[in-house]
Amino acid sequence: MSSWFQVFSKTSAYLLGLVWVLPLLYAFWAAFHPPEYATQFSLTAPLTMENFASAWEQAPFFRYMLNTIVITTLILVSQLFLCTLAGYALAREKFAGRGFAFALVLTQLMVMPEVLIVENYRTLAGLELVDTYLGVGLPYLASAFGIFLLRQTFKTVPQELEDAARVEGLSGLGIIWKVFVPLAFPTYLAFSLVSVSYHWNNFLWPLVVTNTEASRPLTVGMAIFGAPESGVDWSVISAGTLIAIGPLLILFLIFQKRFIQSFMHAGIK
Amino acid sequence: MLKVEGISRRYGDLTVVDKLSFTVNEGEFVALLGPSGCGKSTSLKMIAGLEMPDEGAIELDGRDITQLSPGERKLAMVFQSYALFPHLKVEENIIFGLQARKVSKDEQKRRLDSVVELVGLGDHLQKKPGQLSGGQCQRVALARAIVAQAKLCLMDEPLSNLDAKLRNEMRTEIRALQQRLGMSVIYVTHDQVEAMSMADRIVLMNDGKIEQIDVPKALYNNPQTIFTAQFIGSPPMNIIGSGKNRLGIRPEHIEISDKGMPANVVSCDYHGADTIVLADVGAAGEDQKLVKIRYPGHAMFEAQQRLLIRWDSGNEHRFPN
Repeated sequence: MSSWFQVFSKTSAYLLGLVWVLPLLYAFWAAFHPPEYATQFSLTAPLTMENFASAWEQAPFFRYMLNTIVITTLILVSQLFLCTLAGYALAREKFAGRGFAFALVLTQLMVMPEVLIVENYRTLAGLELVDTYLGVGLPYLASAFGIFLLRQTFKTVPQELEDAARVEGLSGLGIIWKVFVPLAFPTYLAFSLVSVSYHWNNFLWPLVVTNTEASRPLTVGMAIFGAPESGVDWSVISAGTLIAIGPLLILFLIFQKRFIQSFMHAGIK
Repeated sequence: MLKVEGISRRYGDLTVVDKLSFTVNEGEFVALLGPSGCGKSTSLKMIAGLEMPDEGAIELDGRDITQLSPGERKLAMVFQSYALFPHLKVEENIIFGLQARKVSKDEQKRRLDSVVELVGLGDHLQKKPGQLSGGQCQRVALARAIVAQAKLCLMDEPLSNLDAKLRNEMRTEIRALQQRLGMSVIYVTHDQVEAMSMADRIVLMNDGKIEQIDVPKALYNNPQTIFTAQFIGSPPMNIIGSGKNRLGIRPEHIEISDKGMPANVVSCDYHGADTIVLADVGAAGEDQKLVKIRYPGHAMFEAQQRLLIRWDSGNEHRFPN
């Protein structure tokens, strides 16, 4: 009975995995073969790098990539910094209204960012930040999810460790940096992965707030590049997609074990 | 050297520490002893600066440190859970405070070497605390406290997580280290054996207040209150009679004899070197009045067996109130 169940659950897991990975496999197929093979499968189809070359020429991918990297880094660094301080305060500092402040943060978790697009655009237009890196990043510079996650992790740090550091002469910020941050490292890694993959792939907000190559990230660039009115060439689009997701994919494959451990440790699913 | 003057700590209506005063002299080992919940750990935290007293003052070498932060007091502390940083190697744990206080690298190295030799951790410097046994963790915590060369070292039940055998060994070792280095120590414990065997002086606390401050011998021989009498010594002192006529007599001072007070055996508890005999000295028909008698050697009396017990009147204790 249980062995049947195991076989069943294993088979379904592999099946689901296969369905999930199919688009990616197709993208690899189409990108490395001439356009005439984009919709037919043949083992003898010739391999080619042409699609990558033409995709690279047709759109300023380098600039898009740079934009995405800068925006994602800006958001990540600022999130880690702000969430650490906020998480520590909510976990360990006793101040009036702490419970209320934490409730506000939790409430914010329930608000879909898309709801705020119009209002955020108005704010950013008022600040004259439209079509800048800061403009794309600003709504995301702090993360309720990150604050929540770090608060929970910091709460598990034994009080005696903090006391010991304090007796040894560390300042408040020193304790955060030397004790809390290293102890919460798996949480930082897991959160960073979630954050980077979210903002690397974020589409709607950058589409609204960017106008030119100056700040347009890969996702928006890809969409314009592959827009139906410019004629759909699946092979070139697949090549472009691979260029776009490449760095993230490689990063994940290298650190796969580490990431999965961190997720298990941080309890994120 | 350290002078604690009337410090109190209240949580809402609950007074955890009530006007505590005592002193610690240079090179002295003082134990803060008491049952759990008596406020001894809170007192230690106030001395460390981890909690602020609601009233009173703490002086270190004539300087008022009541309002200083824990770091500014420059004390060392050993915690019950050892409080080692799991992400740092043993070596880094030991010099953690020296780095925080920006002691020069040469000096760090020199002090590390000497302290490692003192506590015998040479082979483990590159390990993480997770790879060490409880006793080794305890040594690291000790090393971290010693390396600071602080004026005063605070220890909060440092041996309570160790097994009995290791606890005895570490007790001797800590005491030897303290005397060799001339450290001033405040040692919090609920274990009277620890306090009696290690301390120069004991501050016995109960319910947030001081019961008695004395050297171990005086605490044992001249308890001022019934609480002290019953807390120090195992099994505790027998208290016979009531009101003004109450008197205390230790189990080891009662002899089984051929004349004296009649007692009916209730049970016997054989400990190896001696037997603890529980007997009822109440007159027939009255409520039970139990006393414990320490009888050297092995003796298994039958229940209800009638004994006669006596003691030297010099061993009787009287309590003023």
